[in-house]
Amino acid sequence: MTRTTHSMLAGCRAVAPIIIGIVPFGLVAGAAVTAAGFGLAEAIGMSLLVNAGASQIAATALFAEGAPLLVTVGTALVINARMFIYGTSIAPVLVPEAGRWLGVLGHPLVDQSYAVTMTEGRYRDDVSVVPYYVGSWLVLAIIWQISNIAGALAGSFVPTSWSLDFAVPLVFLAMLIPALKFRADVEAAIATAIAAAVLVPLLPMQTGLIAAIFIGMVWGATRHHEHPAVEVDE
Amino acid sequence: MSAQSSFWVVILALAAGTFLLRSLPLWLHGRTPAPRWLERLLRHVPAAALTALVVPASLYTKTNGAYEVAPARIIAASVALVVAWKTRNMLWTLVAGMAALWVAQAAISMG
Repeated sequence: MTRTTHSMLAGCRAVAPIIIGIVPFGLVAGAAVTAAGFGLAEAIGMSLLVNAGASQIAATALFAEGAPLLVTVGTALVINARMFIYGTSIAPVLVPEAGRWLGVLGHPLVDQSYAVTMTEGRYRDDVSVVPYYVGSWLVLAIIWQISNIAGALAGSFVPTSWSLDFAVPLVFLAMLIPALKFRADVEAAIATAIAAAVLVPLLPMQTGLIAAIFIGMVWGATRHHEHPAVEVDE
Repeated sequence: MSAQSSFWVVILALAAGTFLLRSLPLWLHGRTPAPRWLERLLRHVPAAALTALVVPASLYTKTNGAYEVAPARIIAASVALVVAWKTRNMLWTLVAGMAALWVAQAAISMG
C-alpha cells in the first residue's frame, strides 16, 4: 500500500465514529429539498457543489418561505463564514504539502474533516496530511449523499401534519451546543436569541435573521475584548 | 424566472461563495494575514448563526406570512435543549424534540 492510500484510509477511519451523527442531518437536508418542491437533481447537485449541510438546509428553508434570493444566499453564507476561520487555522498544516492541489484543497473543508485533521492527522508520522484530510471528507461526503438521497425520496411521502419542518431547528440546536465553548459564545448566543425573537417577526423578508446574527457576532466580539482570560486558542 | 431556475441560482451562488470562504485563507496563506477585527468578529459566527436558526422556528409558526406564538414548539424546543445539552447527540435531540412536539400538539388540541 502506498503512503497516499494508507493516509487516505487513516482519514476514513478517523471519522468512522462520527458517521452515524451525520445520517439524520443528511436525511433532513434531503427532505427539505423535496418539501420545497424540488427533486433529486437539486438535492444531489446542492450537496455536491455546496458541501455544507447547515447552510443547505437554511437556504432551502428560506427559499421555500419566499425570502429574496439575496437574503437566502446571504444568510447561508454567514453560516458558512466559520469555514473561513477553519481555513485560516488549517492553512499552515495543509498549504506546505498541497502542491498542485492548492486550487481545490478548500472544497473538502467541513466541520469533521477540520476536526480530525487538526486534532489527529497532522500529528501522525505515518500519514501524509493532505490525503488524510481528503480521505476523512470523502467518507463523510459519500454517507452524506446517500442519506441526502434517502431523505429526498422519503420526504415527499411524509404528511405535513407530522410537522417534520421542526426537525430543521432541532438539527441546528444539536449543532449549537458544542459551539458554545466559551462565555463569550454563550453571550453571543443569548444576544442573538433575544434579537431574533424580536426582529424576525418585525423585519420584512427574513432580514431579521441576518440582523440578529450580526448583533450576536458584535456582542460576542466586544465581550471577547473585555475578557481576554476566556480566550483560549484551539 | 421559474422557481426551479431561481433555486439553481441560489445553489450556484451559495456554492461559489462557500468555495471562496474555504479557499481564500488557503490561497492567501503566507501573503496577507486576515485582519484581527475580522477574526474576532468571525469567531462567534457559529454560536450566533445557529441560534438565529433555532430561536424563531422554536417560538413561532408562520401562516400566510403572519407569525404566531406556538406553545407546542416552545415546549418541544425546551425538551430538545435539555436533551441536546445532556447527550450532545443529534439523533437523540431529533427523536426527543419531535416526540415532545407531537405530544404537546396532541395535548393542546385536546385541551
